[in-house]
Amino acid sequence: METGILELYVLGDISPQEKLQVEEMVAKHPLIKAELEEIELSMELFAQENAIEPNEALRSRILNSVLTNFNDDSTFSTVANKIEDNVISLPAAKSSSFYKYAFAACLALLLASGVALISLYGKLQDSYTQIATLQTNNQHFANQVNFKEGELQVLRDTSFKFLKLQGTAHSPDAGLTVAWSPARKKVWIDLRSLKMPVNDSTHQYQLWALVGGKPVDLGVFDKTADSTDMKEMKSTALADAFAVTLEPKGGSVSPTMDQMMVVGKF
Amino acid sequence: MSRKQKISLSEEELVLALRNREKIAIEALYDMYSSSLYGVISRIIIDTPTSEDVLQETFVKIWHSFSSYSTEKGRLFTWMINIARNLAIDKLRSKDFKNQNKNQELENNVTSIDEQINTIYKPELLGIKDLVETLKPEQKSILDLVYFKGYTHVEAAEELGIPLGTIKTRLRMAIQQLRKHFN
Repeated sequence: METGILELYVLGDISPQEKLQVEEMVAKHPLIKAELEEIELSMELFAQENAIEPNEALRSRILNSVLTNFNDDSTFSTVANKIEDNVISLPAAKSSSFYKYAFAACLALLLASGVALISLYGKLQDSYTQIATLQTNNQHFANQVNFKEGELQVLRDTSFKFLKLQGTAHSPDAGLTVAWSPARKKVWIDLRSLKMPVNDSTHQYQLWALVGGKPVDLGVFDKTADSTDMKEMKSTALADAFAVTLEPKGGSVSPTMDQMMVVGKF
Repeated sequence: MSRKQKISLSEEELVLALRNREKIAIEALYDMYSSSLYGVISRIIIDTPTSEDVLQETFVKIWHSFSSYSTEKGRLFTWMINIARNLAIDKLRSKDFKNQNKNQELENNVTSIDEQINTIYKPELLGIKDLVETLKPEQKSILDLVYFKGYTHVEAAEELGIPLGTIKTRLRMAIQQLRKHFN
């Protein structure tokens, strides 16, 4: 007892073997037990004197953790969480700048493609106009080719007869060539050979066929400054002679004899 | 102060209730001893969140290993303060805690140093004044190291530069002074 081992026992500053020895002694000797208890009590009171009241909130936290067995709550310390937060925040900052640049690039691309689209649209419209012009031209040429083919047919066809109409006393310089096929009942006039003054807007020239002494209307035509084509007139199977008179616009039912320009007989 | 009156039981009633694993036992245990145990723990670990964790671990361990306590071995508090002291020292020596201390920011150190050196009036230390007069300064510093900070008497001898025999004598003298004081 005098060695101070009881004090060291209470202070927890003792080896396991010594601890067992003290517990054995205490169990055997009530006097030693009383001495030990007195030391313990005074140390307990000393600890009470040095007590520090923990935070109020700690009471329910600790009681809950004891009663629900969550005894390893403490491994999740707040410091560890803070470190984790830092790690997460770094890549987030990186990726946000990436998206910023990506967005800018997208905008630039969008603008560029918009400009390209507008210029392409203009070119497309030009092309449409050109195509329309070409189609009109093409149509025009096709018509012309058809017409020329018709003219050529007249020249090649041996059934056509050509008659040169001579000027009358009223207009001695006038002249016109007429082609007629009795078999095909077709009549053409050659405007290139037409030698007559240009008619005004209220008059037209009219072609007549004389059949058995009676005039038959074969249609009207105009003399213009640059008329060079051949023109197909109304058809007739019979004709003794052809004549042209100047008539009011649209033609007359019967010829005005004093306005006869040319005449010719077979 | 909204909390109801603290629960207090006699030590026999408390031990019995703890054996029967009654809910009231752990509440009474907390109300009666948490401040004494926290006084020891917070002297070993200055960082408040960590010392609170250790207090929690202490109560969990008391509750789960209560079957290893017997009244023959001594008073309940002696057994409990050993658990608290050992857990606190284990925490202090653990790898986690050492790393945490290394990584402490300057700001935190400034506040914790402030806390250590300032002399705020603490009402819970009111009774100490009598004790300071009862205990000689050299007795008090030895008790502080061994009882509160968990030094062995060998470590205390090295720390204070005093022969081992003197340490033992001073410890006995200090405790006898305390016995006189409390009687």
